[in-house]
Amino acid sequence: MATLVIMPRQGQSVESCIITAFNKKVGDTVEAGEVLFSYETDKSSFDEPAPVAGKILAIFREEGDDVPCLENVLVIGNDGEDFSEFIPKSEAEATPAAPVAESVPEAPMAEAAPVAEAIATTSAGGDFAISPRARLLAEKTHADLLKAVPTGPNGRIIERDVQRLVDMGLTVSPAAKDAYSSAVEGSGISGKVVLADLNAPAAQEAAPAAPATEYEDVKLPNIRKVIAKSMHQSLSTMAQLTLNTSFDATKLMALRASLKAGAEKMGIGNITLNDMVLFAVSRVLLNHKDLNAHYLDDTMRYFTNVNLGVAVDTPRGLMVPTVFAANKMTLNELSKSAKVVISAAQEGTINPDLLKGGSFTVTNLGSLGIESFTPVINPPQTGILGVGTITKRIKEVNGEDVTYPAMGLSLTFDHRALDGAPAAKFLKELVAALENFDLLLTK
Amino acid sequence: MPKSQYVDPGKAFEAGYIHFEDIPVCQYNKTLAEEKKIYTKDDFLRIYRDMAIIREFETMLNDVKTKSNYNGVEYNNPGPAHLSIGQEASAVGEAYSLDINDFSFGSHRSHGEILAKGLSSIHKLTDEEVYDIMKEFLGGAVLSVVEKHMNAGGNVKELAINFLLYGALAEIFARKTGFNRGLGGSMHAFFIPFGLMPNNAIVGASAPIALGAALYKRSNNKPGIIISNCGDGATGRGPVLESFNFASMDQITKLWGMDGKYSDAGLPILFNVFNNHYGMGGQTRGETMGFDMVARLGAGFNPSQMHAERVNGYDPLAVIDAVSRKKELLLAGKGPALLDVVTYRVSGHSPSDSSTYRTAEEIEAWKAADPILAFKNKLGGGKIATENEIAKMHEDITARMTEVMKLAINDDISPRMDLNKEPDAISSIMFSNQKVVSMEPERKAEMIMPKEECPRVKEIKGKVRTATDANGKPVSKMKMYNVCDALFEPIIDKFYDDPTLIAYGEDNRDWGGAFGVYKKMTEAVPYHRFFNSPISESAIVGSAVGYAMCGGRAIVELMYADFIGCAGDEIFNQMAKWQAMSAGILKMPITLRVSVGSKYGAQHSQDWTALCAHIPGLKVVFPATPTDAKGLMTSALDGTDPVVFFESQRIYGFGEQFNKDGVPEGHFEIPFGEPDIKREGKDVTILTIGAVLYRALEAAKILEEKYGVSAEIIDARSIVPFNYEKVIESVKKTGKIILVGDACERNSVMRDMASNITEMCFDYLDGPAVVVGSRNWITPAFELEKSFFPQADWIIDALHEKIMPLPGHVPTNNFTDIEKVERAKLGL
Repeated sequence: MATLVIMPRQGQSVESCIITAFNKKVGDTVEAGEVLFSYETDKSSFDEPAPVAGKILAIFREEGDDVPCLENVLVIGNDGEDFSEFIPKSEAEATPAAPVAESVPEAPMAEAAPVAEAIATTSAGGDFAISPRARLLAEKTHADLLKAVPTGPNGRIIERDVQRLVDMGLTVSPAAKDAYSSAVEGSGISGKVVLADLNAPAAQEAAPAAPATEYEDVKLPNIRKVIAKSMHQSLSTMAQLTLNTSFDATKLMALRASLKAGAEKMGIGNITLNDMVLFAVSRVLLNHKDLNAHYLDDTMRYFTNVNLGVAVDTPRGLMVPTVFAANKMTLNELSKSAKVVISAAQEGTINPDLLKGGSFTVTNLGSLGIESFTPVINPPQTGILGVGTITKRIKEVNGEDVTYPAMGLSLTFDHRALDGAPAAKFLKELVAALENFDLLLTK
Repeated sequence: MPKSQYVDPGKAFEAGYIHFEDIPVCQYNKTLAEEKKIYTKDDFLRIYRDMAIIREFETMLNDVKTKSNYNGVEYNNPGPAHLSIGQEASAVGEAYSLDINDFSFGSHRSHGEILAKGLSSIHKLTDEEVYDIMKEFLGGAVLSVVEKHMNAGGNVKELAINFLLYGALAEIFARKTGFNRGLGGSMHAFFIPFGLMPNNAIVGASAPIALGAALYKRSNNKPGIIISNCGDGATGRGPVLESFNFASMDQITKLWGMDGKYSDAGLPILFNVFNNHYGMGGQTRGETMGFDMVARLGAGFNPSQMHAERVNGYDPLAVIDAVSRKKELLLAGKGPALLDVVTYRVSGHSPSDSSTYRTAEEIEAWKAADPILAFKNKLGGGKIATENEIAKMHEDITARMTEVMKLAINDDISPRMDLNKEPDAISSIMFSNQKVVSMEPERKAEMIMPKEECPRVKEIKGKVRTATDANGKPVSKMKMYNVCDALFEPIIDKFYDDPTLIAYGEDNRDWGGAFGVYKKMTEAVPYHRFFNSPISESAIVGSAVGYAMCGGRAIVELMYADFIGCAGDEIFNQMAKWQAMSAGILKMPITLRVSVGSKYGAQHSQDWTALCAHIPGLKVVFPATPTDAKGLMTSALDGTDPVVFFESQRIYGFGEQFNKDGVPEGHFEIPFGEPDIKREGKDVTILTIGAVLYRALEAAKILEEKYGVSAEIIDARSIVPFNYEKVIESVKKTGKIILVGDACERNSVMRDMASNITEMCFDYLDGPAVVVGSRNWITPAFELEKSFFPQADWIIDALHEKIMPLPGHVPTNNFTDIEKVERAKLGL
């Protein structure tokens, strides 16, 4: 009896995963526990171990495929075993669809036929709308639809958009189109070719024909696309405003030094300055509910606890794992919890459900020497605190100039959710708490 | 409102009384001895035989409907059968004195009338005449069946009786060998060569049609009278009462004579009410009507009380007596007349009638008074015929009926129309599509003066046939040839060319038509061809149908298109359907002029083209320029099909702006169905219906000047028929189409065309076919109309929002999908 390997569901919110690499091919023998393939969600990556030993009888997917969770990926078994029942429906459907391209009539158009097919597929996937007339014109003129700027209603590509491509000479020879469209690997659902697929390989395939090229186009990893989308959405939909301030970190640094010294004795971990900022935020934020909230169109969702998002730079890009109910933790607990999620994020093994649910975020670029910056809110949160590096500053004490270590704080808040004064009040209270951290600890 | 008749306030307020004459009620009282002097034995026996044939025919149908078996022959007839058992004496009595020049129209319960008048006609015609009729009819299709399969013993009259029974029954059973190829059926069977005109499934609908037939006889001096049969229930219907009045109107005897130049005879029409006491189950006397007796109605319509009389319809001789006297009256020019023929329908309304509305006792009492039984007793008692003679007659009738039935249900001898083998069989008769310049070419048209002397013709001669002069300057309104003139020209021409043409409607004559189309036509056309009708839309359109059925041509007017509703049945069920229901035997050369208003609010400003276009059998046109108005009117008047001719009050005064050479003089035709490109363009097609053309032109100008978009404007001109080829060509060029009209947008003609164009041009479209119609509201007051009727900016906004956004354009009207969904949710 052959064994089916499906795409596991990694967290309730995950609908599909992209297969990044197959370690085995059809015919290979595998041991139980050997990695069959690697895949990633929007935010994490995983390895799928072989559940049993045997031979790979069939692989239904290709690298780069976006596979819906719980759908069939491959079959392990003995030679000659029947696995037909496992063949995914979508594949069975995809196969007969291919000959359609061949039936496109008219000899001079024959070479362009695969293009028409690609466009039709793309269109059917809902990735872009095009009027029948514009499509017909594109077929006739070999206009490079990928470069079209839609100006019709609801983003529809209409005749004039294609005409503009033709006028600008943005056409593709049928052969080139054929080449790049056939080289496309679908990344849409069930391996469906989407516009993005056409775009990248098109350039790659085109490269050899233009040796002068001095750049490299690299397909965006999914996580980059997600980041891009959420950043852009954040900036384009919110009324963001950043307030900058700094605080005297003399006491905080002294306290951190003493904690570090006594860490082993007290059985506490390595408490960082960032942990201490997180702790202060988790305490002060409860007094400023507009910042510990989600802005949802016509309602505000106020959180009882502080679910602190911690921005982490990972090899895959920015990730924001959440420390839930940070306000209930001791400094030590908070520090440990933060470390767990941060390292999971960096290794790419984090449970995707931990990448959601934050009520406020702290991001720290201090280690990179940034003094102050404009953090971008993670919607639908209403605020994000940026932590800068420590610089020496001068202040007047008893008529004398005294230097002190100043740590930069940048609060970006959503002006839709709250006004400048309340946001400033939060910063002011936070500054007071950080400058008197010992008092905060004893509270 | 003729000036010759002075409305004197003194007389209007004069004191006095209205006096009525006594209306005779069942006053026939001839003795048998007197009757024997009038009728021979043969006459008596023939009267009896005819009643017995009808009784047997109806009994057969009743048996087929209720038992699927008549005299041992099995058959199932799913179609209707409204039988007249009990009414035989009335039918035979009526038909006795009628000949083939006397046309009768009836109801859904007309089998008896058809057989009675058919038998009476056969008796009166010579062998040769009757044989010729049968041979000619439908190429001998009916005759050949009875000739081949029934033995008439070489007797032409007997053969003709077989022919009549078979033709009627095959029609009832929807056989191709029926009188109307099976397309009319039980309620519509008729046979014109015997003067048997169409019967009607719509209660009372025959009255205005019969009225029109009487107009035809009267205006064209044709022999014979018209019988308009209906039941007592039908007297509750507006079209029937409208017809009573229309037929009685004073002008026929007072004005139409024109000081002795023409006939001043009254209309030769007898409204004959077969008063069987019930309209389906509603009892007229005592329940649904208040007249007590139908004959009383006559007193309400004219001083002669329509010569109304109530007659015993169970005594054929009483009915013969009454009808003969009425016929004499009508031929003497004293019409109209009204008869209240008392009878009883022993059979139910239909075989499914369980007689819940009457008692068994009542039915038994009327059965006891059975007219056939009574007449049989008269024949026996009066020693006119023996028991044996009568029994033999019944035997013969039953045998004949059985034979006829066997033939009519034989699928080989009497096949049904096979629409798989002949897919065009019905398509080919929906329209007659003929061009007939004159319906009676051999006769000279009666006109008051030669055409050249007609004042309006002279006036038009001096007019400029374009909207602007040679220097591009607008021609003054007084001198400009406009849409009214363009409609008038072909109409006056047709008055001279076709002696049968008549025109009427409300305020047509002295007023010159409400909008001036018939201005100064009064001077040229005599009254009997051109008159003011009463405000009776049903009678106006219905009478045109009857007029056309008889072979005449009519142009009738409803003033406002909104009044289409007042003549709904006449337009949608009568005018539209009779050509096809008669298997193409009848022609329907009627032009129905309707005018779409503006400025006059909710009930005087509606474009109802969609209602008319929806009904198969009507041609619908809507010209918007003088040239098109003239060309299409010429085609309408030359044709043989019913045309609903839409006009617009917005543009009656418009001159010709498109045709540089001006509106053509003389005979000028524009074939129906051909849209016309009024402005060439390459970027977007605008298809207009009616007067909205001028607002589309405005939009095209703005599009060109402000946005550099070149619009092609196509004027639909015709709606049914419609040739899409030109529109398809245009859409192939532009890829974009907006359809505009003044009708409310929902279910409009534009919607229908948009859907067709989308189907036919899908691959060429650069956006959806977009419809810009009026809001789905009532038409508001003139001052608010710009928010209701499509305007130039609506067209531009629709293009911008739905097809091709125009850089820099800010729409002021909401054409978004969201708005559309919301409006639809609210039924707006």
